[in-house]
Amino acid sequence: MNGYLGKILRVDLDRSRLWDEPLNEDYARDYVGGSGLAARYLYDKLDAKTDPLGPENPLFFLTGPLVGTSMTSSGRYSVCARSPLTGIWGEANSGGFFGPELRYAGYDGVLITGKAEQPVWLSIVNGQVGLHAAGDLWGSDIYITQTRLRDALSDPKVRVACIGLAGENMVKLAGIANDHGRFAARTGLGAVMGSKNLKAIGVRGTGKVPLYAPDKFRTITNQVLALYKDDFPAQSLRAYGTAGYVNLSHMLGDLPIRYFQLGEHTQADDLSGVDLAEKFLTRNTACHKCVIACGRQTQSPIFNDSKVDGPEYETVGALGSLLMIFDLEAVIHAGHLCNLFGMDIISLGVTIGLACELFERGLLTAADTGGLEIRYGDAAMVFRLIELTARREGFGALLAEGNAALAEHAGVPELSATVNRLEIPMHDPRAYLGMAVTYALSPRGACHMQGDMFSLDLGQSNLEEIGLEPSDRHANNYEKGRTAARLQAWRNLYNSLTLCQFENPGVRMLVAAINSATGWGLEPDDLIKLGKRIVTIKRLVNFKLGLTRANDRLPDLLLKPLKEGGSAGYKPDMAALLAGAYAEFGWDPESGYPLEDLHLLP
Amino acid sequence: MAIKFPSDEWIKELSAALNKSESYGQVAATWEGDNIFVVLPDADYPDTAYLYINLQHGKASDARRLSSLDEQKALFTTSAPFNTWRKVLEGRLDPIQGMFSGKLKLVGSMAQVQRTPKATYEMVKVASQIDTDFGS
Repeated sequence: MNGYLGKILRVDLDRSRLWDEPLNEDYARDYVGGSGLAARYLYDKLDAKTDPLGPENPLFFLTGPLVGTSMTSSGRYSVCARSPLTGIWGEANSGGFFGPELRYAGYDGVLITGKAEQPVWLSIVNGQVGLHAAGDLWGSDIYITQTRLRDALSDPKVRVACIGLAGENMVKLAGIANDHGRFAARTGLGAVMGSKNLKAIGVRGTGKVPLYAPDKFRTITNQVLALYKDDFPAQSLRAYGTAGYVNLSHMLGDLPIRYFQLGEHTQADDLSGVDLAEKFLTRNTACHKCVIACGRQTQSPIFNDSKVDGPEYETVGALGSLLMIFDLEAVIHAGHLCNLFGMDIISLGVTIGLACELFERGLLTAADTGGLEIRYGDAAMVFRLIELTARREGFGALLAEGNAALAEHAGVPELSATVNRLEIPMHDPRAYLGMAVTYALSPRGACHMQGDMFSLDLGQSNLEEIGLEPSDRHANNYEKGRTAARLQAWRNLYNSLTLCQFENPGVRMLVAAINSATGWGLEPDDLIKLGKRIVTIKRLVNFKLGLTRANDRLPDLLLKPLKEGGSAGYKPDMAALLAGAYAEFGWDPESGYPLEDLHLLP
Repeated sequence: MAIKFPSDEWIKELSAALNKSESYGQVAATWEGDNIFVVLPDADYPDTAYLYINLQHGKASDARRLSSLDEQKALFTTSAPFNTWRKVLEGRLDPIQGMFSGKLKLVGSMAQVQRTPKATYEMVKVASQIDTDFGS
């Protein structure tokens, strides 16, 4: 089976049993890989009774057909399960080298069920697999854990995916770390790993990914590589990382400030990625076969942090402007703490942001928080809350449940900044109105990686062939809804391939790469069909788990226009936007169910 | 009377307009860097033109049309075909969209551009208010 290793490793932690299972080729052909393929597999295994933190919740690590090849930026993998944070489809994606290494070790994915009696870690080395006691690793941070696994397997090239203290404590904001400080962060899947008493997975392999037409594939990937030499977004990402977008984002009103309630602030530009590069960057870091190297390794002398992974744009927003903290060093340190404990920075930042807002409004007092005064702009308090959350101590136990739970606890669910209980990322949908569709229909709750309308409307322009062209970011109509849905299909295909979204070689080039890897003979239009099928299977999983058409909405907080800044006065027209999106996906506007035959299920 | 683009007169007019603009002076207060706008030939314009302008701390100076890139070095060079420039100046192409999409090719200090995007927008806004003759 070209493009695939053809094997899934099954792990039953209840019985300490490990075995190989052939990859379902029909599923792979229809759902590609990554989160799409996982959704098809898990559709049969999940229902409304599945306890997200129970042994029955399957945890699926999956790669895609281009992962580990010479295709640029093909180092990603997906982790999927029912989310303990949201109760719906859980999906997290990460870059680095773990995904490629898993394939070199002989597997397309690892499907884990059950719960180990005692903490364990899993080794996968060139097809040899084993479970090992992890009692001595329990409590270790993500960096120490990765080092210890490399030592245990006596190989510095071992790649590790692991949880920190937050995952062990089943904090619902816990992520899964790999390759130092990269994270499959969202939807709390670190807690699922922790619930299974699985501390880490170490992988090492020397195999290769079988390709249908290797010479042609190499030619195509060389052509793709050449595209990035003069590419403005790639140059920008290389020089200033994702945080290089901060100033532009601020100008456009895309950067959330003061818990999504301010459109601009005189100090927001102090969080610039340019300043970050000039003052704190020690080196760039890159994923497998990536020539962009957007990853940051920074230092924070004031806090004695000499080697920090990040911060990304999302970190700068979620632990910076959202909390009215405009000191880059404080943001670097806060991000580092989240990394050490293994937590989703977006979700935690938005949850702490709500705590600040509740204090402002007098809806939360020191009597509720064990004496803590939680105020905007107080970086030291944020450091403390991060640790309390990871340890589930005191008020941290409530923060560990996420933003929606905190809003409900305070009796003000209307102040929650979530969609389907997943915290809103650092792209304000009032700045790019198409993002309202992305968030409302995202299969995992509010997520900017399910359709980056900010990239499209900012000028990403090589997708005309499949009907995706930049347009007025404040167009607030049916057509914008259609475009956002189409982009969501496209990005869901990316998350299934599983490719980095900064890799945009255009439709023809991508089709050629997929075809020469797999031998499938796809046409450009087929990519959108695949993407729509993937979005829709995830939607059907969510309907099984209890979502309905009524869940396709934005929180009240983000439906109020801002008074100042680049998005002042705008709010999404959800009826018009969603009408376009349903039409594009072929979903019934009344029920939200698919009308078209997408060959979803047998 | 409309001023022909791209001409020496037009870039001098832009310089004067920028110096009159209070809002440009404010948002470009930290901007340091001279620019050459390269107008490349296309179906509606057969030549290549080089328009130089020095921009420092919200003020413009030394604006003139160059005969070639050898005549003057600049911190920034932005190149695009004639009709792409026309779209920018007529408000039909957002300048940042143009850069991200590769329609406007920028060479120079990206730090400046990324740190002060408002300066770019304001300059284009001022330029678009010039009564411009595109020759058709």
